[in-house]
Amino acid sequence: MSDKPLYVGFDLGTTNSAAAVFDGEQTTVIRNSQGETLTPSVIRIDGAGRVTVGSKARRFLERDPDNTHHEFKRLMGTGKAIEFPAAKLSKQPAELAALILASMRKDVEDQFGVAPERAVVSVPALFELPQSSATSEAAQLAGFERVELLQEPIASALAAGWSADEDSGAWLVYDLGGGTFDASLLETADGFLRVIGHDGDNFLGGRDFDWAVVDWAITQLAARQQVTISRGNPSHSGAVRALKQAAEEAKIELSRASSALLVANAPLIIDGRSIDVELELDRAMLETLTSGLLERSVEVCRRLLQQNRIAPGELSKIVFVGGPTTMPSLRDRVGALLGAPIAEGHDPMTLVAQGAAIYAATAGLDGRPTSARAGKVRGRRLWVQYPAVSSDLAPHVVGRVVEGEGPRPVELELQRGDGLWHSPSTAIDREGGFVIGVELIARKSNVFKLVARDNEGQTIPVDPATITIVQGVTISDPPLSRTIGVALANDAVRVYFERGTPLPAKRTFTHHTVEGVAKGAEGSVIKIPIVQGEYDRAHLCRLVGTLEIPSVEVRASLPAGTEIELTLELDRGGRLSAKALVGTIDQVFEEVAHLLVPAADPDVLEATITAMRRRLFQLRGDAFRQGLPQILTILDRVDQGLHEVERDLEAARGGNDDAGQRARRSLLELDADLEQVEQIKRWPELEERRIRTMTWASAALSQHGTPREQKLFEEVSTAIDRAASDKDPRELQRQLRLARQLGETAWYRDPSTWEFLFEDAVSQISQASDLPLAQSLTREGRQAMDRHDSTALRRVVERLWRLLPADVQTRRQSFDSGVR
Amino acid sequence: MSERQQHGELARRRFADNPFYVLGLRPDSTRAEVEREGKKLLAMLEVKLSAGESHTSPLGTHTRSAEQIREAMAELRDPERRLVHELWARLAPPTEPSEPASDMSDTQPDGDSHPGFVLLGFRRKTAR
Repeated sequence: MSDKPLYVGFDLGTTNSAAAVFDGEQTTVIRNSQGETLTPSVIRIDGAGRVTVGSKARRFLERDPDNTHHEFKRLMGTGKAIEFPAAKLSKQPAELAALILASMRKDVEDQFGVAPERAVVSVPALFELPQSSATSEAAQLAGFERVELLQEPIASALAAGWSADEDSGAWLVYDLGGGTFDASLLETADGFLRVIGHDGDNFLGGRDFDWAVVDWAITQLAARQQVTISRGNPSHSGAVRALKQAAEEAKIELSRASSALLVANAPLIIDGRSIDVELELDRAMLETLTSGLLERSVEVCRRLLQQNRIAPGELSKIVFVGGPTTMPSLRDRVGALLGAPIAEGHDPMTLVAQGAAIYAATAGLDGRPTSARAGKVRGRRLWVQYPAVSSDLAPHVVGRVVEGEGPRPVELELQRGDGLWHSPSTAIDREGGFVIGVELIARKSNVFKLVARDNEGQTIPVDPATITIVQGVTISDPPLSRTIGVALANDAVRVYFERGTPLPAKRTFTHHTVEGVAKGAEGSVIKIPIVQGEYDRAHLCRLVGTLEIPSVEVRASLPAGTEIELTLELDRGGRLSAKALVGTIDQVFEEVAHLLVPAADPDVLEATITAMRRRLFQLRGDAFRQGLPQILTILDRVDQGLHEVERDLEAARGGNDDAGQRARRSLLELDADLEQVEQIKRWPELEERRIRTMTWASAALSQHGTPREQKLFEEVSTAIDRAASDKDPRELQRQLRLARQLGETAWYRDPSTWEFLFEDAVSQISQASDLPLAQSLTREGRQAMDRHDSTALRRVVERLWRLLPADVQTRRQSFDSGVR
Repeated sequence: MSERQQHGELARRRFADNPFYVLGLRPDSTRAEVEREGKKLLAMLEVKLSAGESHTSPLGTHTRSAEQIREAMAELRDPERRLVHELWARLAPPTEPSEPASDMSDTQPDGDSHPGFVLLGFRRKTAR
């Protein structure tokens, strides 16, 4: 076995999956038993219960569709069972994903002689909690003892960034998958990778490109062979499937050749006629057929750039991911349309897996079993903490001497493997601790020898004897993909973790119950719904779990307004746990009732569509009357979206759950669009708030602001004017918040503010830990006020604050929210 | 909670939990220094070194948790949010700390720095 670390990453894709390993310097893409780098995400289980995975299973998609399943990734976390009638088996999507992961894990073992125990699995940028936890569950079922999840765009950028020469600037990750399109904007600065924004189109994917070719083939056949094939006619479905297959093959061929033949496997049977299909398709024709779709994807990118106020010319690179982007013409067109350079030399099909493997190193997830990693050196155990991957060229190595066998070292020195650098010999402190800064060679794997000495300066053995730090691009903590909060009774959301919060994270807020709960009363329960989403209206977000405080379990009846201290905790993999403490009865509730993506019931979907159509109609009328062209553009987009949703609803009624889920998600997004329109309509109200805030803030800043703050305020004012003239309510609210914060800092410099804060502190002194001292401080403060000595007053206030209860730490009720 | 209480609450929080105080850094530290210091403190907490377990603010000494360190790092990564914390940290008054900072002897007073920074235990270098 190699003594190099084995960092393993998996890209669990909708259509194809891939695996890669990273040894600290290089990534290797794993080949499966067929010698391919891609394993189709297809599972077949036959009558004897035998499981077939990957390309072998894919062959049965046509022949044995009942017992062969694909695209189950879209159903992750829905609780939807997938049937295999021949074997009389029913499987959860996570169980099928586990079979794919287990198969790839075996491929890693075949190549490296050891079955990895820890790994990183990539997930789509907008995966929600239930979907993420289903993915973690799949990895556990596949035999991994620990797994971390990483968002796909970050994985791509990490892999592309790892080999890049210069590493600062904005990156666009253009990820065109089979059924969806995702665009992510990332930024690298000082070796750190950060996600700035994300956008996408749920209805745009490589499959649409195939359909464009199918439609072309249908018109060609109609012209040449006078045959009418209809995609909507059920009796033609076999022929359409065959054409789709042929279109896919021709498209793939065209990524290498300049022309290809579109040939069906067998003659098509149309209304009793047998039709031979052999059509010639060249690159130029394919480009023409798909240009509309491509334009749509570029439009999404432009929107994303505009939202983040980045000009396309400022992009330092576009990274391509996904099967359809292997078409050179597509890459060139996207590059040309956006006017940004293309990152070359990456494999769009395995880039995500490679990034996941690199991230495994950052997360310290060496896949080798612990027994294989243990050092052979016998010596005093040291407990050492250091980054396995560091973007910092001078990180710290921190540790302490563990009680145990062997002589105790008093000094420690780190020597770099190339012999050109060593740390000063550092004394180990009384606690046995040490903190040593090291210097790394850029973009290399740096090995350091730990040289420990005893009192006499004699070298003594320690374990570990060496540590390895790789220098390169990192993301320090995996960021949360979607904001998580608690839905409140008034449809507001108490945000616990904002999007981008590094994981793990833990926060506590205090809530108050709206209704009372009588002990033992039947059916009475306090529900604390946990939601995920970017909207400030709870109903627009997704319910991901509910914590319940049932009347049958409470020790005593709770009146309305009872304080509940709620703690939400997310681990690195994005798994959520919730705990509610009811202080008055000293009882803790921990059960989160459900964590599943709600089922997309077609009837509910239809009712929602009808309601939205009505709203759309009304808003459109208003918009015409008020002459708001910008609203009309949004409404047109919603209208178009609703048509797509209706198509998906049709498919959902036909038993396609995947389409149902997609429809439900799209409806939420469209609903948010309508919400934005309503916000624009409420513009006058916002305008009034703008004037109020700006008047107050500019007064505070002109009197008490520093030149720097005043300059910043000018910038914010410009941004506010811009947001106002763009009629962008979200941006305006964001900038107003900043203006208010600037105003506040100046306000605290105002001497009279401290009088105000003094009175506030005095009003609470009954709770002070040292009442006599608090009372004498109060007297001191009054005297300072009489003398108009604001500096002294301020000191008094601060000393008073120290005496007040320390619930500041936990009571982080938002300042500007009207929340209970 | 009354508006008045909320103001007091907010002000106290902005001082005590200011990311710069949590990380023991000056408001002008670079992005790289923030990451380096944060990582070092997390590692120190991990191996349970007592020096990592508390931080000083104008309001006294507070216990320092891994969550707080991570949150502080995240706050300072976002340029807009960092700005606000910077302003608050610069607002720090020239107050006498209730107990003298234990590492006063290690500090290297900086010509341009406000005496308050030194009193607050700010250190540019992390000499230990």
